Formats: sequence, C-alpha cells, structure tokens
Amino acid sequence: MGEITELLTLMIPAMVPFLLAAQGTVLSGRAGVFNVSQEGLMVLGAAVGFLVSFKVGSNTVGMAAAFAIAGVFGLVLAYMTTQLRLDQFVVGLALYFAALGAAGLLYREVIGVTMEPPLIPTLEDKPIPLLSDIPFLGEVLFDHDLVVYLAFAISVAIWWFMYKTRSGLAFRSIGENPKAADSLGINVTWARTWSTVVGSGLVGMAGAYLPMVYTGLYTEGMVAGRGWLVIALAFLGGWRPHLVIAGAAFFAGMEVLALRAQVAGIGIPHQFVLMLPYVATLLVMVFAFRWARQPSFLGRNYDRESRLVG
Amino acid sequence: MENPRLEMRGIVKTFGPVTALDAVDLVVGRNEVHGLLGGNGAGKTTLMNVLYGLYRPNAGEVLLDGQPVSIGSPKDAIAAGVGMVHQTFLQVDNYTVTENIVLGTDVPGPLRLDLTEARERIRELSERFGLTVDPDAVVEELPVGVRQRVEILKALYRGAKVLILDEPTTNLTPQEVDDLFGSMRAMVDDGMSVVLITHKIRETLSVCDRMTVMRDGRRVETLERSDTDAEHLAEKMVGSTTDPGAVVEAAALGAVDAEAVEETLSSVGTTIAVAVRDLVVVNDQGHELIRGFDLELREGEIVGIAGVAGNGQVELAEALAGVRPLRAGSVEVSGRAMGGLATSSWLEHGVAYVPEDRHRDGILPTASITENLVLGSQRSPKVRRFGLIDWGAAKQRAVDAIAEFSVRANGPGTLVGDLSGGNIQRVILARAFARRPRLLILHNPTRGLDIGSTRFVYQQVRTATAAGCAVLLISEDLDEVIALSDRVIALYQGSRAGEWPHGSVDAYEVGRSMTGLGEARV
Repeated sequence: MGEITELLTLMIPAMVPFLLAAQGTVLSGRAGVFNVSQEGLMVLGAAVGFLVSFKVGSNTVGMAAAFAIAGVFGLVLAYMTTQLRLDQFVVGLALYFAALGAAGLLYREVIGVTMEPPLIPTLEDKPIPLLSDIPFLGEVLFDHDLVVYLAFAISVAIWWFMYKTRSGLAFRSIGENPKAADSLGINVTWARTWSTVVGSGLVGMAGAYLPMVYTGLYTEGMVAGRGWLVIALAFLGGWRPHLVIAGAAFFAGMEVLALRAQVAGIGIPHQFVLMLPYVATLLVMVFAFRWARQPSFLGRNYDRESRLVG
Repeated sequence: MENPRLEMRGIVKTFGPVTALDAVDLVVGRNEVHGLLGGNGAGKTTLMNVLYGLYRPNAGEVLLDGQPVSIGSPKDAIAAGVGMVHQTFLQVDNYTVTENIVLGTDVPGPLRLDLTEARERIRELSERFGLTVDPDAVVEELPVGVRQRVEILKALYRGAKVLILDEPTTNLTPQEVDDLFGSMRAMVDDGMSVVLITHKIRETLSVCDRMTVMRDGRRVETLERSDTDAEHLAEKMVGSTTDPGAVVEAAALGAVDAEAVEETLSSVGTTIAVAVRDLVVVNDQGHELIRGFDLELREGEIVGIAGVAGNGQVELAEALAGVRPLRAGSVEVSGRAMGGLATSSWLEHGVAYVPEDRHRDGILPTASITENLVLGSQRSPKVRRFGLIDWGAAKQRAVDAIAEFSVRANGPGTLVGDLSGGNIQRVILARAFARRPRLLILHNPTRGLDIGSTRFVYQQVRTATAAGCAVLLISEDLDEVIALSDRVIALYQGSRAGEWPHGSVDAYEVGRSMTGLGEARV
C-alpha cells in the first residue's frame, strides 16, 4: 500500500466525528440555533456510547444511546432558546459544562477506578461488494466500518433535504429571516426544536464513534477539542452541508498528518506536531471568513410579539 | 353601497390606556382602489393590521363579500383572500424571487422541489398586472421598487381578493409610482379591491376611486374621488389650514404646489459655510459609496439630497458629520479643513447631525433625557464642575430643552427609549441646537413622525437657517426635499446626477436622475 493511499484510507474514518458533529451543528444552525455545546456533547456521547456498549454488548445500541442523550440536551437548548428566549451562547456553554460533568460522573459510577480499563470491541470493516474492488478508490473509500458510510449518507441526506425539498426551502428561510417565514405560516419554533434535537444527537454520535473506532477504550480527554473545531468547521463550510464534507476532509487530513509525523519521529517535540490542526484551523479561518457566509439569524432568538412592537 | 367587497364595522383597538381605533367603519367596493388617508398616528396601519390578523380588535366585525369572517392571524387573512404589503418587506434576502413567493405554499415536490409551474404562474401574474420582475433573480440584488413587486406578487400568488398596500410609494421614484398605480388599476379591472394606505393627498387623488380620511383613530369622512379636492382633504386630515405652519406641511404632503411655500423659506446668505471637494467615502465593507462628491453650502441655505436609499446617503451624512473618516477629498466648515480631526472637533466647529436611524444612531434608549442631552457636550464648561459633569446644571438644561422643544415626557429623568418617535426626534434636535450649529445634517428627519412633530422639525429648520446655519437635508421623501430645499441635488451611486434650483424642480426629472437615467448621465 502506497503512502498516499494509506494516509487517505486513515483520513476517511478520521472524518467521521467531524462530519457527524458538523452536519448536526449546521442542521440546527440553518434554522438559527447556534449550538456551542459540541465539545461537551461529544465527551458525553463518547462516555455514554462506550458504557452502554460495554454493558449491553452492542455498539449499535451504544451509538443510539449517545444519540438519545445528546438529543435530550438539544431539547433543553431548544426549549430554553425558543420558549424562554434565553441567550443561545450562554445556554450552550452551560450545557457544555453540564455534559462534561455528567460524562465524568457516569464513567466513575459505572466503572469506578480499575487497574485494567474495560474494553469494547471496535467496529468491523464492512467492505462494500464490487465497489471495494476498484483499485485505489475502493481501498480508500469503500472498505470501512458502517458508521463511515452512515456519516456520508447523513451528509448527503441533509444536503438533499435543505436544497432539494420543499420543506428544506422553508427550513432554511427560518435561519435567514424567521419573521418572513412566520408571516408565511412556517412554524419557526417547531423547526428550531426538531433540528436542534436531531443536530445535537448527531454530535453525540460523533463522540460515541471515538472509543469504538481505534482502541475500544474510553479515556478522558479523547475528544481533544474536536467539538470546538467543529464550530470552526461549520463556519469554514459556510453552513453548507456539501462544503462541510470538504472541510471535514481538511481537518481529518491535518489530524492524520500530525499522527504520521509523530510516528515518523521527526525531530520536533510532538506537542508541536499535535498543534498542527489547530494552527491550520486558525490560518484557514482568517481567509475563510472573507468569503464564508452564515445564516443571517444564526444565534438570534425569534420573538413573534416583537413584530407588533416594532 | 350595494354588495361591497369588504366591510369593517365599529372596529375598536386599544393598546393599554391608548385608544388607537375608536369604532372605525370602512367599506371597500369591488373593482375599487380605496385610499386610506391620514397623518402618522391616525390609525390607518393599525386598522389594516386588524384586517390582516396582526392585531386582535377589542370590538367590531369584519365582513368579506357579505359574510362575517374571523381573522386571528395572517394565515387566516391569506385564506380569506386578504393580502398585505408592509412598508418593510418580509423577504429572505438570498432566495430568488420565485423561492420567496412560493415559500410556505404547497408547490409540487415534497421530496424533490419543482418550481417550474410556480415560475410560469409568477411570469403570468407579473405580465397580467404589469409587475415586471425576473423570477430567477436573487432578491437582495434587486432595487426597492422591484422588491416591492415581489411582495405584491406574493399576495397575488396566494389569490388575494383584497390587497392592502401600506405607504407603498415611500421609496419609489415618480416613474416607479406611475408603474405601481398602473398595476393597481390592472388589479381592480381584474376584479380585485385595493386599499392604499397613504399620507400623500396627491397620490390619493391620482389613483383612488374613493377615499376614507382618518384622524386620531377615528374615521373623519369617506368621499368619492369626484366629490373632493386637495384643499378639502388637507383640511380633513390636518384639522385646519389656517395655521401658517400647515402650509409647508401640506406641501410636503402633496396637497399644494411647492411654489406656495417659497416665501416661507429663509433668504440665503453669500458667505460659503461649508465646502466639500472630491469627497470619497467608503462603507464598512470598504466599498466606495461616495465617489468624488462636490458641494458648497452657503449660510442659511438648505440643500436637499434626493436619492433612492442605498446610493451613499448614509456614508455622505456620516462623513460630513465627522463620524466616518474621509477616504479622499476635503471638507471645510467655515474655512477650516476638517479632514482627520476627531469627531469632538467637528462638534466644536458647529457640525450637528440628526441621523436617519434615530433609535440606533441618535440616542441611548436606556439613558435619561438629561444624559442624552449631555452627550457630545460633556466637555463643555456649561455642564462641568471640578472636572466632573455637573448633573444639576445638566438637569436644568434638560428641563429647559423639554419646555422649548415641547417634548412630551414626565421629566428630565424619563428614559429616551420610552418616548414616541416624534419626541425622540425633539430630543435629538434639542441636542443638535444646543451648540448653535453652522452645519446641520438631517437624514430622513420626519420619517415616521406624526403631523405635529413633522411641522415642528420644519419650524426648527427655518429657525436654524434664519440664524445662518447651513442645512443639508437628505431625504427619501422627494416631496419633502422639493418643498424645503433652496437647491435639490440628485444622488446616484455616490455621485451627483443633477441639480435644480428651488422652483424649477420637476419631480420626474429628479426621479430619472435618481435612477441613473437623467440627462446628466447620458
């Protein structure tokens, strides 16, 4: 296997947490809800996903549990912002801390302190018949675990929903001008609520993927700031699902490169190499912000009554 | 009237202790353009918001085609065949015309959006009613006049039988107004009824079949077009025409010709008060919105800038007020070059600014009248003692200003955000005049004000010019610019597109220049 092929093959599963979490962020963002609790939801998703898989013995159930628990956090965010009209950023940060704390607590309660950390089986690769036989491409794209395919399928589905369906047209208008949407009978609160629940659920799934893919171990800090990078990724992709795929490839690529550089043992401290994705993010954002656009009502609550005042 | 399209009977609407509508009746016939005429605060828009389901009336009933209807939300109104075009458009900026129009309707394709049919229907409607628009254009790139057509098409697409237009001509050029009136004619010929909310008498007379005059939340009179004239309507609207101030105002309302107010204008001095040369100003995004603008203002002169919103008015006003840096060129006030000086120096040299968005740029809404009046004068010895602000003196100044400018407020401690638009404007004027300005910049100074406050603003402008102050009046209300200015300059894409002295201004010519079709450009 060539070096390039190997790097790309590693990059695809590395894209998964970025893809799932960023598409979830984009989904609620296009309805105007700016979720900033990703890092916490991913940590919680990782912990719950791991613990449920460990206890039940099924990664699928673990993943579903992670989706559900993060979805509940999303419901809280949606309720606080659409019904109580609290500041989205403040509620999001509070949920980040709550999720972080819940994750640590759950692990300690269920596993406790052990000399030998518990293990879960990692996800199996399921090559897609025929497609995986294509030279180079088959190896890079079609020889992975099921969640990889799912993440790409979800990305395409969200893109299709937003840009190709009638409800998608209505949905996107909420993030741009909720007043206009409301005046045409589109239910702003409902759209914001379901998209925040589903979007947060996807962020939780992104977290659950981490212990299931590489080591089968749960370690504190394994999310390693990916949740924050996801926010940058949403901006980088201009809150558009198809561009987010490209952005996820970039972030995953940086991650894999940093790992490689570490293994290759080039003579710089590995902490610097680990900084690579973050430095690259900063640089890219400087340029991306010039062209990337975002929903006009991103992060702003909508109050129908204020129309009557103004 | 037999078999009317719409009847509103005894509509009462109160907001807290204020009665906005006091048992108002309105009857609109079929095939009729009905003018709803009145000054700001007369209750026209409130009445129509009741019809459109935005407000719940306290009493009264609505009948459409003789049947009582209950309208609790805009959705009900649309279903009943009522459409409304608001003054501010409710559009998704980055959507196309078609997407904006079909939004929320059942276009084919729940799983795969198909807009071909909708596009055809829009094309057909726009042809039938003369509402020219490209269905595939993105609305944020369209001028105001076209965006308004999109709003109208939105109502027509949903099958409106009664179309309400709220002050639709505010930001239009005279040519666009003619087109709009043509479309309204086509609609009523097609069997629709149109309600035109306006405060402009001339418009009412030129397009309406019947009209209802409102004042102070009451219906004053309903008239046939053939039974009335401008003077009569002005009298009904304003209440009296004997007051000299009412003449200027009536002219601005379009009731009488601008020439009638000639003698009320002040005499223009000979000394040049302000000289602007080759001015270039950029907006927040770095685009040049004022490109090589020249202007000389004499003492006591009012120069009006006419233009469609977004042609550099804000940038010009802010640059001349000293709150936006000059990219190139020079501004001299009383012979002194002002470029590069701090805003405080501009203030000290007698530049006063009444911004367009009075809530955002003019005041601190959560601060008191006293505090708002101190702003900008905080370094003046009049309100300072031992290096700190002398709040006693500041409060006394506020008390005086409230009396002199007739601000309706409980006292100097009232928060400015709690005042009405007209009273906020009085506070801003009081602050502007506190320093005896040499240059007064007014941007849309009467937008949204009631008749009394509009008149007050005009009086203050006259007082200022009599004292030798030069006034730059930037307004999207063409009638106002023409009625008040000694000279009118048309602004198009940041440059001067024509100039006319008072008395020889043709609104259509100005309109052409404002849209880049003037002779100065050809």
